[in-house]
Amino acid sequence: MSFLFQDRLTRSLLIITVILMALNLYTIFVITPMVPEQHWAQKIFYVHVPIAWTGFLSYFIVMVAGILFLVKKESRWDRVGLAAAEIGTLFVILVLITGPIWATPIWGRPWIWEPRLTTTLILFLIYVGYFMLRKFGGHPERVARYAAVLGILAFIDVPLIFYSVKFWAPQFQLHPQVEMVQQPTGIINPFFFSLSTFTFLFILMLRLRVRILNFQYQIKSNNV
Amino acid sequence: MFTTLLKKELFVELRNKEVVLSMLAFGMSVLLIYSFSLSGDPKINHEMAPGLFWSMVVLSSTLGLHRLFGQEKDFDAFASLIAAPIDRSTLFLAKWVSGVIFLTITEFLIILPFFLFLGLSWPVSHFQGIGIVLLGNMGIVAVGVIISGLAMRAKMSAVLLPVLLFPLITPLLIASVKATTGWYHVIPFSHWQFWVLIMVTYVVIFGLAGYIFFDHITEE
Repeated sequence: MSFLFQDRLTRSLLIITVILMALNLYTIFVITPMVPEQHWAQKIFYVHVPIAWTGFLSYFIVMVAGILFLVKKESRWDRVGLAAAEIGTLFVILVLITGPIWATPIWGRPWIWEPRLTTTLILFLIYVGYFMLRKFGGHPERVARYAAVLGILAFIDVPLIFYSVKFWAPQFQLHPQVEMVQQPTGIINPFFFSLSTFTFLFILMLRLRVRILNFQYQIKSNNV
Repeated sequence: MFTTLLKKELFVELRNKEVVLSMLAFGMSVLLIYSFSLSGDPKINHEMAPGLFWSMVVLSSTLGLHRLFGQEKDFDAFASLIAAPIDRSTLFLAKWVSGVIFLTITEFLIILPFFLFLGLSWPVSHFQGIGIVLLGNMGIVAVGVIISGLAMRAKMSAVLLPVLLFPLITPLLIASVKATTGWYHVIPFSHWQFWVLIMVTYVVIFGLAGYIFFDHITEE
């Protein structure tokens, strides 16, 4: 494990993330005010929205890495894309778990075809196919190209999925639509703190995963 | 070059009728399942007809899309095809246009049994309906050619194609069903023009994506 934390930047990032995460949990459970209509269910908002943001950020990075891989033909961008796809899918699974946990007491049922949740589900399904393509696609170089193309296609599909679902079932527009700026500082400040914490966590995870993939690549290259 | 490639696709299909026949046979089987699994009430079928039509099209299109590169794959001819001095984007266009033609022919052949078996009333106008169906076909086949190209040399290509295709075409499917509902249920165009816009956007985006990325997909 020590090889993962060889450089000072990764070690510093790890320490910062651990401290921020501890503070974040304390803030969510102890400091943030209890919203009268939602009670404890509202607390999931401080985790659910930041992990959703991180999931979509990951998939955005998959797209950027895909473009860079196709343009520059450098395999490191394929590894960045794969790492971001794995982390993004992990966060998206968490979104699909935390969403229904929040929805059950608030909407009265765990699943509604609400655009944001539906877009997340469809993206998750696309990425299930992405990993299958990675696994069964054939030659590694070819798979890297295919994965890059699919990562780009998946992200450009997002706005189309969102708007088609939004207007497909307007009766399901139950997702909180409140403007963040209208929230009291007791809610908005912890929310942005949580958002920053999860972004730090994502950067750390991405850095570590890319490092592992780089090592795997080097071992494979040396064995060939 | 485009015309030559398109002629090749049409000529091969004319000889073995593989793509159209597989889609038609599968579509008829789906229709048979619909006939027995639905209530049989023509009123309910009338309400559900657009959704049933597009789900039948999407399901049967996977077979045809899987066979779009079938000939090249079976006879190991794809390497020769891309070794020829052909612009790969033109190859995508030929596959796209031929795929749309095959899917449209299949729909043309299956539409009468569809109305007959489900006890549906014939639509009032045809012009808009044809436009919607063509747009839907263009969108499905544009993504289908890309995905078929990606999955062609994979181990589980027959599985990969629908797994990748269905989630990617969700917005197109929603828009196609909504637009077809508007047309078939004689709702004023202003109420469903948004869905036609989504369909056009989808076709343009994925048509361009295929044109741009096909080079990377077919690279050896």
